[in-house]
Formats: sequence, structure tokens, C-alpha cells
Amino acid sequence: MTSVNVRIAGANGDGVESSGAMLVKVAAKNGMHAFAYRGFQSIIRGGHVWNQVRISDEKLYSHGDGIDILVALNQDSVRNQQSHLNKNAAIIYDPSKINVEGVRSDVKLIKIPLLDIAVQVSGDPIMRNVVAIGAVLKMIGINIDVFNEIVKDMFTRKGEKVVNDNIKAAVTGYNYSGVEKLFEIHGDSKKRYYLDGNTALAIGAYASGCKFYAAYPMTPASGILHWFAAHENKGVLYKQTEDELAAINMTIGAASTGVRSMCGTSGGGFSLMVEALGMAGMLEVPIVVVNSQRTGPSTGLPTKTEQGDLLFVMHASQGEFPRIVIAPGSVEESFTLTSEAFNLADRYQCPVIILMDLYISEHVETIDGFDFDKVIIDRGKIAEKSDGRFKRYLFTEDGVSPRAFPGTPGMEFVAPSDEHDEYGDLVSDALSGIDEYVEVRVKMQNKRMRKIDTMLKNESVFVPKVENEKADYFFVTFGSTVGPVKEAIQILNKSGSNFGLIQFDYIMPLNAGKTEQILANKKLIDVECNFTGQLAHVIKANTGIDINNRILKYDGEAFTGKEIADKAASIIANSK
Amino acid sequence: MEAQENKPKQGYTSGIKPIWCPGCGDFGVQAALLKAFTALGLDRSKIVIVSGIGCSSSMPHPFSTYGIHSLHGRLIPVATGAKLANHELTVIGTGGDGDGYGIGGGHLVHAARRNINITYVIMNNETYGLTTGQTSPTALMGHKTKSTPFGSIESPINPMALAISSGATYVARGFSGDPMQLAELVKNGISHKGFSLIDVFSPCVTFNHDNTYDWFRSRVYKLESENHDPSNLEKALGKAFEDSTTDYKRIPTGLFYKVDRPTYEDLDIALKDGPLAKQPLPTKAQLSEIMAENA
Repeated sequence: MTSVNVRIAGANGDGVESSGAMLVKVAAKNGMHAFAYRGFQSIIRGGHVWNQVRISDEKLYSHGDGIDILVALNQDSVRNQQSHLNKNAAIIYDPSKINVEGVRSDVKLIKIPLLDIAVQVSGDPIMRNVVAIGAVLKMIGINIDVFNEIVKDMFTRKGEKVVNDNIKAAVTGYNYSGVEKLFEIHGDSKKRYYLDGNTALAIGAYASGCKFYAAYPMTPASGILHWFAAHENKGVLYKQTEDELAAINMTIGAASTGVRSMCGTSGGGFSLMVEALGMAGMLEVPIVVVNSQRTGPSTGLPTKTEQGDLLFVMHASQGEFPRIVIAPGSVEESFTLTSEAFNLADRYQCPVIILMDLYISEHVETIDGFDFDKVIIDRGKIAEKSDGRFKRYLFTEDGVSPRAFPGTPGMEFVAPSDEHDEYGDLVSDALSGIDEYVEVRVKMQNKRMRKIDTMLKNESVFVPKVENEKADYFFVTFGSTVGPVKEAIQILNKSGSNFGLIQFDYIMPLNAGKTEQILANKKLIDVECNFTGQLAHVIKANTGIDINNRILKYDGEAFTGKEIADKAASIIANSK
Repeated sequence: MEAQENKPKQGYTSGIKPIWCPGCGDFGVQAALLKAFTALGLDRSKIVIVSGIGCSSSMPHPFSTYGIHSLHGRLIPVATGAKLANHELTVIGTGGDGDGYGIGGGHLVHAARRNINITYVIMNNETYGLTTGQTSPTALMGHKTKSTPFGSIESPINPMALAISSGATYVARGFSGDPMQLAELVKNGISHKGFSLIDVFSPCVTFNHDNTYDWFRSRVYKLESENHDPSNLEKALGKAFEDSTTDYKRIPTGLFYKVDRPTYEDLDIALKDGPLAKQPLPTKAQLSEIMAENA
């Protein structure tokens, strides 16, 4: 595998974001693979931001280590990024603006008067990032014609001048003297899609018939709301709410009418949703709730990643009720697991929580596509008619009672957050403590909780997935950390080790017996982006297996493959 | 509340008894809702009564319509979600003053500005009944309760002014002691296209011995008796403050304000082809189109 890591760094407003997007598109159209991740701040103008685009001839699982080409759009970029430069890396910079004194001697300095060229070709200094992108294309051996096509796609609606200015700026950078090919990436003939985890999740929801999404803006979940809002003319309704309390309660109201409904937020907003999460459990209304985690506690680092909410979402809300917790481990899984989430919600009439995080929500990568033929829609048990008064909460062997939707004559019922009998009539208030209603309470709680047994019996997914069964060592992980772990395995196994992966994707409920069988007698290393090793805790609670080898990170940045590989190597060295 | 075994339902009633004390004002609201449903000839399978938590929130149970007895303060978003998902339903919110003006007050102003076509009936007894008598957001200054033994020192919420200034398009006040007027207000609120708030003085006979039926009877008067023009925003706001500015000597009831403005459902592009609940799954062509946005 050959890969090159291009990092564009500057201030907000310098075109860092759009430069990265251009590079990803070039790679996708050129039969290459790309993985882009950005470092950004809670500031709208200024500050220090970067967008790293890794381009390769093979599928990528992480944003990679270090920088091969740095496009430095301001002085801060050189100062903040030089420690990340790989050996023999290159810096593209404008000598009239930036001083590179003190940069390591192995680093190639590519001086281009970015600003002068931008002003010359377009009259607009903002184009300087495009000049730099032109140079990058030359350095990684991509034909400039591909870029021209992309510019047409991106800017035709802004007029011919914008298209031509972009092309002129890029071509000038491409042909600038001293800019040479440094890397060789061979693409195949396949054109790929490029999208982030939030978009994949939204498309997964859309394909499975989700028509209602409610949210209050919050990083890093906002990408989902942007998607739904942009597609309100395509059969989905996005409701921006006054707060996350409203978001989840509206979702419950919408789902009660039979419409597949979802809400999404980050940990802070999820905290506000907690009471209603329990109501969804009590009313037995199927809803899907996304929590895209960021670095906590509290406001934490709003633009940085973490996996610190696992135990929280597993236990949030008072009392006990069935719920399902799912953590996609890739952009592709953000699609597939979300479409399955709606089936599980409908089949078991309970809340399903999709645990994302900033890294998986916001990194863009190229993918081959989604298999829409595999999206199966199962609405679960729906009552068509009722002899006599409808028992919405009918006691059944599997715990699942057929639902009915408002508008259906003869099935009227009240769904109450109070404890209730089979009809939905309350057994709280005036009846609580009276013997026969004590019995109803127990039977009803048993009915609800029985759904967990049914899930474990009927669904095969509630066990971890194993890759490379015969490995000597296994990384145990979940969510966005799966990608970097896969890359670590590639690195380690290439140098003669034999590592495998145990991925927890459907985390709750967990088939404890089968999980124990899978984990028993294996050498395990737990990898998580949090302080306490929350997945390891879940594993211990379910199986009694204690994973003492842990690689934990909570600095706000995502793991890289090399980082995990190095740490694993030293764990093994120390254990010998 | 008594669970009823398999009894056939008659009309709009389920036969289930609410938890209210004898003499509770909420019985008057129940009667008004029943009268309004009957007068409008609504299909009971298309009615959803959404309540929160509190004495008055047991309102859905005596009815044989659909209902959601939700969380304290959250009936508005639950009702909004149901309406947005299927706007052919008649969605009615029923709750108390603590629910609507206290813990759920934030939702009220947004429902009003959205002008979503929901009718919200707030049974206002100026007290917290189910929690055995604490102060409420509408309690008058000086009102003594278990939580304000030295008298309330907070100015009460002005529901009419709040609703009007937030953008509600049908704003009325009724009194449980006047069931005829109340039924008419509820009926017209349901018929009105847009967000309707009907605040109802619904005396708590157990915990509020200040604001009793007699107290209200000697103070309320009907706006229509003074030929109030409900289309006049300024006059409506003036009337909304008449109670506090007269030191509660004159309390107007009736329709304060009514205006026609497009509803949220009228304006949301997602609903132009009918209710979400009836819209088909995306076609293969639509899915390819969606993917093409990312290529």
C-alpha cells in the first residue's frame, strides 16, 4: 500500500475545508481511496484549523500518521504542524507571508507566491489555497484534467468566471517551477463515493423509511440534521426543536403514529433526552436516538472526539426497560447498522441508541457504495383489528404486543408513561398497592423485560464480530476505534505478528454466554477512546473476563494505526 | 382510575373514571371536550389527546379516543410530533398550569410561534394538586401554600399575554364554572386552523382555598358582553393585562385573540404531498439520486 498524507492548515476562512474537499473528490474520481479528517475549533473565523486528506491505492481505515505534504496557509500552520511532519515531508508555503526558519533540514521547502498568483489569475486573494492544491496534485502525480472536471461540478452554479479562475489558479500552481512529482499513487478505474459517517447514517435511515428527524444543533451530530433539512423535498421532515427535550419527545409523538422516527445529538443533548428515553421504553414506542460523542465531561472539547458515553447510554433514565445500543465501526456500518436499527426498534418496540462519535461522524472517506437491495424493512407486530377493546399491551410470550396507530378505527387506546395494564389503563395512582394491581405491575414489567430474552433468542447480532480467528492476540474495541485498530493489525501483521480483531457492534443487550465463549482463552488488548475502559467494564460485567491490557486515549484526537501498533508491541514486549 | 374489563365503548367515552376529587374543575373541562367532539362530529379514531403529568393530565383516559399520557411538561412536543407525522389527526393537548407554564413553558412559546394546528387546553388551578399543594407559576402574589408558607413572592405568569405575544393564533380563557361558554371556546379552538391556547380556570377544591369557584364567579366577566374585537391585537393584549391591572377585581373570559396565519403544516415542504404517515418509501431512483450527491 502506498499512501500520502496531505494536511492543509490555516485559519478558519482560509479555504482549508474546501481544499480538503477538492482533494477527496479528485481521489474519488481518480480510482483512489481517500480518508479525510479535520482539526477544527469552536470559532467561526480565525483560529487554527487543518484538514488532512490521506490518499492511497488501497482502502484506508484511518487518517494516518504524520504529514507528507503540509500546505501552510499561515505562520501558525508551520509552528503548530512541524512536529507532525514525516521524514522528507514537504511544505508548500508563500515566502512573502511565512517564515520557515528552524524547520528540520530533511523537509523540502516548496516556495510558491500563492497570494500573488491568486490575485493575478482571479483578482481574489482567497484563491491562494487553490494554487496550492494545484501544486499538491503535481506532487502526488494526479493529472490536472481530473481537477478541472471537479471544479466544473462544484462551481458551475456560481458562474463561468469562478470555474475558470479556479482552473487557472490550480494550473498555475501545478506548473509552478520547482514543483515536482514526489509520490506515485496508482488508482484503479473505479469511481467511488465520498461521504462522512453522519451522511451514511442519514442515508441508512432514509433508505429504511425514516421520515422524521428532530434535533437541536450540536457538534458533532449536526451533519445529520443538515442532511435531513436539505432533503425535506424528498419525503423526510426535519424539525429543529427548541431543545433536546422537545427533539426526543417529538420523535416519540411521531413514532406513535407509525412513522419511523429518529432524533440525534451529542452527549450534552442526550443528557436532556434521558427522561423521555425511559418513556419510549414504557410506552413501547420504537425510536432511534443517535448520540455522536465528543470529548467530555460537560461542554468538554466540543470539536474533539471521545468514546466516553458508552456506559451512560446503556444505563440512562430511571428504572429498567429494554433498549438496544449499537456502535457502527465504519462509514459503511453507519449505513447498514442504522437501517437495521429501525427494524430492531420496530420488532422490539423499544429505543435503539446509535453510538457515534466525532471521528466517525465527521471524517469523510471514499467507499464503493451501499447495497440498497440488502435493506430489508420489517415493521414488527402491527394489529389490524381487535375483538372487543384493544389490548395495546397484551401479555405475550415473547413480550412484544401488537401496535396500532392513531387513525385506525376500533383500536383506540391510551399509551401511558404510568404503569398500566394490558389496555393501557393506569395501575398507578388510585390502584397502586392494591394486590391485584401489584400483580399487574409485576406481569407488565416481566412482559417488557422479556423482550430482551426474545432479542437474544431471535437475533444473532448481539455477539462481537471476530476477524482473524487464529490470531495470537486480539484487539477488543468498538465504534470509530475499529478503523485505526484495523490499520494497527495491518502494520503488526506485516512485521510478522498475528493480531486479530474482536469488534463489539451490537453492544446491548449482549449475549453473555456466547461472548464469553468468544473471548475465553484469548490474549486480549482493549482499545478505547476514554479514560476508564468502559467497554472492558461491560465485558467484565457480562462475562467475568477482565482485560488488563488496555490502550486508552482521551486527549481529544482519534487513534492512529501506528500509535496502537506501537503500544501493542510494547505491551507484548513487557509481558514476555 | 378503574380499569374497565372489555366494556363496549359508547361514543367518545371509555367509562374510565378520572382521579379527580369531587367538585374538581377538571370535570367541567372533560364535559366541554365531550360536547365539542360531539358538536363537531369528529371521528374518534382520528383524535389524539396528549397529556403531561398532574391531576388534569389524566384527561385522555375517560375518552375512547387515542391518547398519550406523556411526561410532565412534555405534552406539547409529543403532540407536535404526532401532528407533524400525521396532520390528518385532531391533536389536543390537555394539562395543568405547572405542566404548561412551569416545566413545559419553553415548549409553549415555540408551539405558539410555529402555529402548529394543535388545541391546547390548560387547566389552571394556580396550584400543584397531585403533589399535594405547592405554589404554581400562576399563583397570585402572597398566595400561601406548603412551599410558600409566607406567601408567594413571584409575579404570576400571564398566560393570555404570553400566548398572544408568542404568536398563538387562537387565545381564549374559560372557566369550569361556565360549561356552556367553555364548550364553545374548546369547539372553536379545535375548528381553528393553527395553535389554540385555551386557559381554563379550573378550581382545585382541595388545595387552593383562595381561588375558589366563588372567588372566580365574583370576578369574571365575558369579553363578548363588552363587544371585544378578538382580531385587534392591541386590544387583546390590553385585555390580557386587565386582571393584574385591576388587582384581579375584573377578570375577562372568552376569546381574547384570533387571527388567521398559515400553519406549520401548511408551510413545511415535507408535507406538501400529504401526511408523512402516508408517504411511500423512497424509490430506487430516489436512492440513486441521493447517492449521486456524494459522487
